[in-house]
Amino acid sequence: MASEEFKREYGQHLVDQVLKGQMTRRQLLVRATVFGFSMTAAGSLLAACGGTSATSTSSPAASGSAAPAPVMGGSLIGVIPPPIVGLDPVTIYDQGGIVLAQQVAEYLIALNDDNSLKPQLATKWEPNNDGSVWTFTLRQGVKFNDGSPFEAADVVASIERVVNPKSGSGALAALQGILSPGGTKATDASTVTFTLDKPFADFPYLVCQSSYNTAILSRKYNGNFDKPTTAVGTGPFMLKSYTAKQQAVMVKNPTYWGKDDKGNQLPYLDQVTWKFVQDESAANLQLQSGAVDFQPQTVFQGSQALFQDANLRVDIYPGSGIREVAFNLQKDPWKSAPKELRQAVAYCLDRKAINEALYAGRSNLGYDTFWEPTVFPGQPTPPERAQDYAKAKQLLSTAGFSSGTTIELTVAKYLENPQLAQLIQQQCKPAGITVKINQISYDAFYAGTATTTPWLNAPMVIVEWGSRPTPGVYAQAMLMPGVPWSSSHWDNKDFASTFNSYMSTVDETKRTDYATKLSGIQQDDTPILVPFFITQLRTQKKTVYGIQGPGNFYCIMSEAFKTA
Amino acid sequence: MLRLIGRRLLLMVPTLILASMLIFALAEVLPGDVGRSILGPYATQQQVDILNHTLGADKPIYERYAVWAKNFVTGNWGHSPVNQTPIASTVMKALANSLLLAGFALVIIVPLSILIGVFAGLRRDSFLDRTITISTLSMTVIPEFVSGVILIWLFAVQLKWLPVSATPPDGANFFERLYYLILPAIPLMFLELGYIARMARVGTVQVLSMPYIRTAVLKGLPRRRVIFGHVLRNAMVPTVTVIGSQVGWLIGGLVVIEFLFVYPGIGQLMLLSAQQKDVPTLEASVLMVAVIYMVANLIADIVVALLNPRIRMGG
Repeated sequence: MASEEFKREYGQHLVDQVLKGQMTRRQLLVRATVFGFSMTAAGSLLAACGGTSATSTSSPAASGSAAPAPVMGGSLIGVIPPPIVGLDPVTIYDQGGIVLAQQVAEYLIALNDDNSLKPQLATKWEPNNDGSVWTFTLRQGVKFNDGSPFEAADVVASIERVVNPKSGSGALAALQGILSPGGTKATDASTVTFTLDKPFADFPYLVCQSSYNTAILSRKYNGNFDKPTTAVGTGPFMLKSYTAKQQAVMVKNPTYWGKDDKGNQLPYLDQVTWKFVQDESAANLQLQSGAVDFQPQTVFQGSQALFQDANLRVDIYPGSGIREVAFNLQKDPWKSAPKELRQAVAYCLDRKAINEALYAGRSNLGYDTFWEPTVFPGQPTPPERAQDYAKAKQLLSTAGFSSGTTIELTVAKYLENPQLAQLIQQQCKPAGITVKINQISYDAFYAGTATTTPWLNAPMVIVEWGSRPTPGVYAQAMLMPGVPWSSSHWDNKDFASTFNSYMSTVDETKRTDYATKLSGIQQDDTPILVPFFITQLRTQKKTVYGIQGPGNFYCIMSEAFKTA
Repeated sequence: MLRLIGRRLLLMVPTLILASMLIFALAEVLPGDVGRSILGPYATQQQVDILNHTLGADKPIYERYAVWAKNFVTGNWGHSPVNQTPIASTVMKALANSLLLAGFALVIIVPLSILIGVFAGLRRDSFLDRTITISTLSMTVIPEFVSGVILIWLFAVQLKWLPVSATPPDGANFFERLYYLILPAIPLMFLELGYIARMARVGTVQVLSMPYIRTAVLKGLPRRRVIFGHVLRNAMVPTVTVIGSQVGWLIGGLVVIEFLFVYPGIGQLMLLSAQQKDVPTLEASVLMVAVIYMVANLIADIVVALLNPRIRMGG
C-alpha cells in the first residue's frame, strides 16, 4: 500500500515537473487525481507551482458559471436514442442505456470534463509503489435506494461480476490482462484492494464512470434493472417506470448522499422523463418544437438548425471520440506491403477539409497517434501530417506501388462513417490510390464471430469509438497485441514493451519519455489512421442549466435545473 | 358466400405456417446473432458464445423452429430474449397503435379519395379532372419522410398548432389520441389519396362507357339515380380491392412515419426485432400483420362480391 510519504514524494515530483516546464498545470491536476489526490490537495500542489491554485475543472457551460441560482424542484424532459437492449449496467454499451443507468447507479470514481478524476463512491484511492495494487477507501453513510447500506462487499461483487465471462460484460475486454477474477478483495467494510495482474498506472480510469459497465450495484443484484423495484443503485434518481422503445421516468432519490458546493441536497430536480427517439431528425424537431428540454448528445450532421434556434443553446464540449481507420495487417495488401503504403494513405488526407466537412471544423485534428496534446493535455506534440501528394506518391513507390493501387474500405451505414469513407476515397485518388467502398449495414458490420466479423476481419475498416479518458486506455483497447478489439491486428513488440513500461511507472519524466516514444512508433508504423478527435454537442433550452458530463454517453443530471 | 368465407379462412392456416417458416429462414440469413445483439460489439466471443448457448440460439434451426411453433400455438409467446419484455403484450400494444393510426387515416382517405375520383371521372378530360389528377399524383410521389418533416416543421415547430409527436401523454382519452394522430395521418393521406382516387376515377370512366349506363340514361333515369344506383356500385369494385390491399401496408409498412412521429407501431417493432435478431418478437409481429392483411383482403373480397353478384356466383 502506498504510504503518505509516497504520496508526498509523488506530489513533489509533479510540482517539479511543472516547474521544469515538463508538465502543464492541467496535466498536474489530471495526474494528481489519478493517484488519489483530492481537489484541495491538487490545488495545493498547483499553488506550490506558483500562480493561482484554482482547481475548477468544468467548462463554463457545464458548471453553469453564467447560470442563475439553482431552482429546486421541477422536471425536465430529455431525448435520447432508445436503449438497444434495456438498462442492465453490467452489459449496456449504447448511449441510451448508459445515460439511463448512470442516473440510478454510480461508480467508484467520476470523471471531470478535462478527464481528471473526482471521488464518487470512493473518497480516496492510492497505488502501491509500482502501481500493481490499488487501495480504495469508500464513502461512508451511503445507502442504496432500497435502503440497504453501501459497503465494500457491494464493490467486490460488482467488479467480480464484470470480470466473470458469464456476465457478458463489455468491461471484461478492457480489464483482461489487468484485473482477473479474485483480484478484488474487501479489506474491511469500507476498504477495497485491487491486486492487478501487472502494474497499471491508469487503473482508476478502468473503474471510473467512463468504464460504464463497472457501475457499483448491490451485492444482491440479479438483473432486471428496467424494473423500479430491482433498479437498485446509489445514484441521484430512482426509476419510476420504463417502457421499452418509448420512455423512462425517473424521480429524485430522497436519500441521495450528494450535496452541492453550498450544501444543498442534490438532485435539484424532482423528475426527469427520458423520451426515446431513434431518428436524429425527429429528435431535432422535438427540440425545436419545445416538446423536450434537452438532448445529452447531438450529432453534428443535420444539427445546423439547432444552432440558429433562438430558444436553444448548443454547448460544445471537449471529447476524445474517434473514427478509427484501421489497416488489417493480417490481410492483403497490408499484410505483405511495407508501412510506406499505410503512410501514403495517411499523407493523402486533408484533415482540415475532413473536419470542416463532417464537423463544421469544430473537432480537433489528429495525426494518427493517441498522444495528442490538444485532446489529452500535456502529451507530447506529434509531427503534423498535412496532405502531401508528392510524398504520398514517393511512399507508394517505395512500397512497390509506383503505378498506384486499389484498396477496399469496409464501412457501416452509421453516423458519419459513409461520408468519411467518401472523403478518403476522393482524397486518395490524386495519388493513384483507388478506394473501393464496401458499405454495409451496422448489424452486418458487427455481426459474426471474432474470426468472421467485418469490423475485425475486413482488410480496411472505419470503426467508431466513444470518448476515452487517456491515450493509454485507447492503446490498451486496440493497439496491444492480441487484444480483442484490434481491427488492425498490429503486433509491434517495441510498442508493446514500451507501453507496459509506460503503464507501470509513476515517474512522470519517464512517462513523458515513454509517451513520446509510443506516439512516434504509432505514427511511424501507422497501423490506424486517427484523422480527428470529435468534440461533443449538447443541446438544451436556454432555461435549462447545470447538465454535466464529459465526453459522449455521459449525462449527469444531479445539478440540473430549469428556470421559469 | 359462406363457403367462400370458410374456404378463405381455412387457407389462412397453411399461409401462416409457410410465412412463419419463411421468417425463421430469412432471420437465419440476416447478419449477426442474438447473443452479439444483446452484448454488443465489445463483448468477447467467449461471452457471446456462452449467452447464445444459454438462450438456445446455437441449436439447429429446425429444433428452434419446433420449440417456437409449439409455444406460439399454445399461446405461450414468452419474453423477448433481447429486451426481456413479454412478447404478446408488446406486439398487441404495437398492433393496436398501428390499427388506430391506419383506421384514422383510412376514415379520412377512403371517402375523400372516392369522392374526388368519382368526381373527376364524371368530368373526364375537363380542367377540373386534370387538376385533380395532377395534384393527387404530385402528392403521391412525395416520400413520406419529406412531407412528414415539412408538416412537422410547419404545424408543430413554427405554428405550434399540432403536437410534434404522435404519442399522447399517459391517460389521454380516445379523442386526445386522435388529435395526436392528425399530423402523421396527413403524409399517409398524400400517399394514398392519389392512388385510390385514380382507381375510383378509372372505374367510373370505365363504367360510364358501358352499354347499360347508356341504356339507363336513354330510359330517362335521373342522373343522380344513374350515378348512385349504377355507376358508383360498379366503379367501386377495383377501388375496394385496392383499399383491401393497402390495409396491410398501412398497418405494417409505416416504419418511416412511426420513426419520424415517434409512434410505437408494429412497423417499427418489426424493423427493430429484425435488426436485433429477436426472432420470437419478429415472428409474432409479422404473423399478426399477415392475419390483418388476409382479413382485410377477405373483407374487400366480400364487399366486392356484394357489389358484383357475378363474382359471388362465380366464387
